[in-house]
Amino acid sequence: MSNIEFAHSWVLLLLPLALLPLLRGRKDTLAYSSLFWLPRDRAGQLAAAFGKAFAVTAMASIIVALAGPGRPESQVLRTGQGAEIMVLMDRSRSMDLRMMPSDWRTIDPIIRTQQAWHRGPQKSKTARDLLSQFIAERSDDRFSLMFFSGGPLLAVPFTQRDVVLQAGITAAGIGVGLNETNVGRALLTAIEAFDDRPYSGSRIILLVSDGGAHLNARTRNRIAAGLARNRIALYWLYLRSINSPALDIEDPRTEIAPEIALHRFFQTLRTPYRAYQAEVEEDLARAVADVGKQQNLPLDYVEHIPRRDYAPYFLGVAAFSCFMLLVYRVLQLRSWT
Amino acid sequence: MSAQQEFHYRLSRRVGGHRPGAHAGTSLGTGLEFAAHVSLFDRPDPRRLDVRASLRSNRDEWLVRVSRQRAGIALHALVDVSASMSFGAPRSKLHIAADFVEALGFSAFRMGDLFGMLAFDSEERTDLYAPARLSRGASSVAAEKLRTLETTRAGVAGLEQVAARVARQGLVFLVSDFHFPLPQLTLALDFLAHADVVPIVIWDAAETEPPTRNAIAPLEDVESGSRRTLWLRPSLRARWRSAVEMRRAEIEGYFGARSIRPFFVEDGRFDADAMSRYFFEVV
Repeated sequence: MSNIEFAHSWVLLLLPLALLPLLRGRKDTLAYSSLFWLPRDRAGQLAAAFGKAFAVTAMASIIVALAGPGRPESQVLRTGQGAEIMVLMDRSRSMDLRMMPSDWRTIDPIIRTQQAWHRGPQKSKTARDLLSQFIAERSDDRFSLMFFSGGPLLAVPFTQRDVVLQAGITAAGIGVGLNETNVGRALLTAIEAFDDRPYSGSRIILLVSDGGAHLNARTRNRIAAGLARNRIALYWLYLRSINSPALDIEDPRTEIAPEIALHRFFQTLRTPYRAYQAEVEEDLARAVADVGKQQNLPLDYVEHIPRRDYAPYFLGVAAFSCFMLLVYRVLQLRSWT
Repeated sequence: MSAQQEFHYRLSRRVGGHRPGAHAGTSLGTGLEFAAHVSLFDRPDPRRLDVRASLRSNRDEWLVRVSRQRAGIALHALVDVSASMSFGAPRSKLHIAADFVEALGFSAFRMGDLFGMLAFDSEERTDLYAPARLSRGASSVAAEKLRTLETTRAGVAGLEQVAARVARQGLVFLVSDFHFPLPQLTLALDFLAHADVVPIVIWDAAETEPPTRNAIAPLEDVESGSRRTLWLRPSLRARWRSAVEMRRAEIEGYFGARSIRPFFVEDGRFDADAMSRYFFEVV
């Protein structure tokens, strides 16, 4: 509240106009032959003074409101518990498919595929619900939200504002997904997002995806170097659907599957890495809760406080003054007859 | 214009002047009022010879009856045309003054007296001057001038000039709203010491009676330009009325000290019958 800046300070040059009501206009007075024999009336003088004051206030506050007063954008250093978490969420079309029903092991394998298409919740919906709950619970963490399919799309930069994050998550549910999954590019962009941020607490990239990709050697090197440089831990919530391989298969022939290849690559990283394989909804919930437990370190961060506009207050004052002027006008005697 | 209003007036004292008229005069001449017996040698008019008085006379001389002649007078209306007189709703005070002037001129003509009008604000208004004369239409012209007058100037300083010009015997009507400090009248009334002065106090109903609506009234004085805002409410109305009564008492007291009774016109029209009654009561 201490410092106020004006968006259009030249408008303040008009402020002397607010003194116009103090000039002697003739229109609003009734001519009277001789005032000296009438009684002096303190209440009337007060009413006239208030009338003029309201007129001046109305004009002055309109002019000030036009000048656009506001508290300038500022930065505040805050300390919190927790981590900086970059949620990297897959928006490819496969995420629109269903999760496996919780009793899938008991279903006859012949109809399992069909069951999996029609039963169970949508993967992206489940992921979104859980993430939104996760974010809502961890109010001390700072989250950033990035979607990817063919390319990355930063939805919400790092912030602690729950409302913005929830809106971002909701936005992820709009429309259908695209048909590509470019994990390499998305990861690189997510790592870059940490680049120019001071290290103020533990950093996590939470990759929410149902598929992997083969990464070329150059990309792999850049990802490994980036994670090491920015000291980022990588958590992979792997939403396993039907016909997808499990991550923990030891068989070397499964290298061909992109998910396994990605998992193997992540395992070679020097930075911390954890994979959570979620087949059914409950697995996913458990995985999210586990991530929550992992990171609870003090966190310093700078928060941008956006510019705050004071114009509505001035307009409110002006509206009130105008209303009072209207009342004054109604009370005013305008002719002798 | 409605039917011509007429009122009857008379003077409290004898007036001089050789023009015959309707008022008790001081000059001798033809008349029914016996004044004295004088010697035929002093007044050689054998038609007025009084035989009885001559026989009774000790000095054995012929006496002639001498009587007083009734005199005609001049009536002057001194009309205040300062800006405050333009106030009034629905008719301005100046209109009421014009009605009075018209009735005065008509009455004067009927009595065989001269009618003249002088107007003043901060100085004498020679453009409204009507010299005293015996004329049936002079007052209508003068009244019409008053009705169409645009008044803007403040002050009554011209009163002394016009009073000096009519400072002789006769009847002088001082037509004003008397919205000025009364001591300003003193010099003018001294000039008019030989005349019978009748102050006609014209007040508009809007001045004496506050508006009935409870409202905020921002008022501006038409003469001084000063402003005052009143919040009309019952207590203020009472103060307003008492202020008017105080002013009335003040005016009556001021003129009463000179044995003059003011005549108030307050109900928006000039009442000639009330004017006649005034003269019956006062004189």
